[in-house]
Amino acid sequence: MIAWRSTWSIYKRELLRFLRTAFQSVLAPVLTTTLYFIVFGAAIGGRMPDLGGVGYGAFIIPGLLMLTLLGETTSNSSFGIYMPRFTGTIYELLSAPVGVAETLIGFVGAAMTKSLILAAIILATARFFVDYSIAYPLLAVLYIMLVAAAFSLFGFILGIWADNFEKLGIIPMLFLTPLTFLGGTFYSIDMLPAPWDMIALANPIVYLVSGLRWTFYGSSDVDIWVSFGITLAFLAACIAVIAYIFKTGWRLRA
Amino acid sequence: MEPILELSGLTKVYPGGLKALDDVDLTIRKGEIFALLGPNGAGKTTLIGAVCGLVRPSGGTIRAFGHDLASDWRKARARIGLVPQELSTDMFEPVKRAVSYSRGLFGLPPDPARIEEILRSLSLWEKRDERIMALSGGMKRRVLIAKALAHEPDLLFLDEPTAGVDVELRKGMWAIIDQMRARGVTIILTTHYIEEAEEMADRVGVIRNGQIIAVDEKDALMAKLGRTEAHIALAESMQTLPPAIAQFPVEIEQDGMSLCYRGGDGTGRGKAEVADLTKALTHAGIDYVGIETRESSLEDIFVSLLGEEAQ
Repeated sequence: MIAWRSTWSIYKRELLRFLRTAFQSVLAPVLTTTLYFIVFGAAIGGRMPDLGGVGYGAFIIPGLLMLTLLGETTSNSSFGIYMPRFTGTIYELLSAPVGVAETLIGFVGAAMTKSLILAAIILATARFFVDYSIAYPLLAVLYIMLVAAAFSLFGFILGIWADNFEKLGIIPMLFLTPLTFLGGTFYSIDMLPAPWDMIALANPIVYLVSGLRWTFYGSSDVDIWVSFGITLAFLAACIAVIAYIFKTGWRLRA
Repeated sequence: MEPILELSGLTKVYPGGLKALDDVDLTIRKGEIFALLGPNGAGKTTLIGAVCGLVRPSGGTIRAFGHDLASDWRKARARIGLVPQELSTDMFEPVKRAVSYSRGLFGLPPDPARIEEILRSLSLWEKRDERIMALSGGMKRRVLIAKALAHEPDLLFLDEPTAGVDVELRKGMWAIIDQMRARGVTIILTTHYIEEAEEMADRVGVIRNGQIIAVDEKDALMAKLGRTEAHIALAESMQTLPPAIAQFPVEIEQDGMSLCYRGGDGTGRGKAEVADLTKALTHAGIDYVGIETRESSLEDIFVSLLGEEAQ
């Protein structure tokens, strides 16, 4: 049985931590996304042909959203659990009558909430630069939540794995961001010459960007259900890893 | 008295082979203050960690309030509080919010009146809206105590509660511990300050190399292992002990200018024996010019216990 009061306490505290650093947490990604829209949307986008019947400025919105979503969700969640480990305050969580469910719903739920707020702000910001419409808004929200949940869990694992700040930043910086850039954020996989169009399919982020783009415009590089399937598989894998971590106490309990 | 915590064969071997707890059996009674003494690295914090869920035991069982901690940990942990040795808390958080969070984390509904009562009892109410980072070291430690009390635990672990705290604050902390005892909270404290255990504890346990080497009522331990030491300064040098004096546990020291008595059992028998010794000296015509006596403290007992074990 889940202790909902404990869960709510963790969730609320994490959100308050987010508000404490709201300037950095919200403004930085909004500013970065704005810069992308100015450079790729307004400056370069005007000279680019439509892609799949969608203007270039609108085409990059799902990719930019995914770029921010993956980075922020992963870092929010990883910091959320790493900082208590680093400062020693994790003792309180470990000694409380809370288990894996309360911890995950609290930490991951808060990271997801932050990401959804960010996604809404980014979409509102995009409206200032390009005109776009979302073909399947409910599916888009569902997909964003799914990706946010999966990468919150991934960040949680990262925060438990890392034993210093360098490790905490290395995965988002060296893997996540490059893979997102190469994952069709700014282009369609179809535009790549052979064999790169095939090699690109080995990049898991391609499926995420493509999935979100499908919910926006009804077409994308990869079938929407393949994207959903891969996202769900990643989510399940993360849950399995976290269940193992809690079962063995790896890096949590001495 | 009813046991509140029972450790049986508790063992912890860390990766790398260090045996921090070695087949520990210990029973804590309801309502008592139990002081766990031991040198650095003896296993005190590991023992606390094993009960509080911070350390995974390698063997043995832990039962708290009748619940097995391996299978029924939620019910047991809900009634246990921990004040860690390190000042570990979110320093950016205001005091009241941090304490309220602890209550919620343990699954209790918000109770502003209870939080106010705890903060007032720890002289923190005036600081309730201040960030923890702005408080002094002693105040920060009180915040940790307030956080541990927020869920109204029946069993409280205080890991070195007065480490790094000045004498005045330390005495204030003792008063707080006394208040908690008055409320019926069972307290297990680890400390380096033997004076603290002597002042507060009902029972004392000594741990060394992960093994409990002595557990007893504080007074019983002092009675059993306590000693009286008396130094009698003689008016004239003495090289051999007359038979009437040699029947006492005395030694000649300072080139015959002093006698040293070591005896008794901590119940006051030693003092009576020193009085008998002085009478015997007078009866034997041995003049003395001064007497200095002292009862051994818990610290002496602690040091001697550790010394015996080491041998």
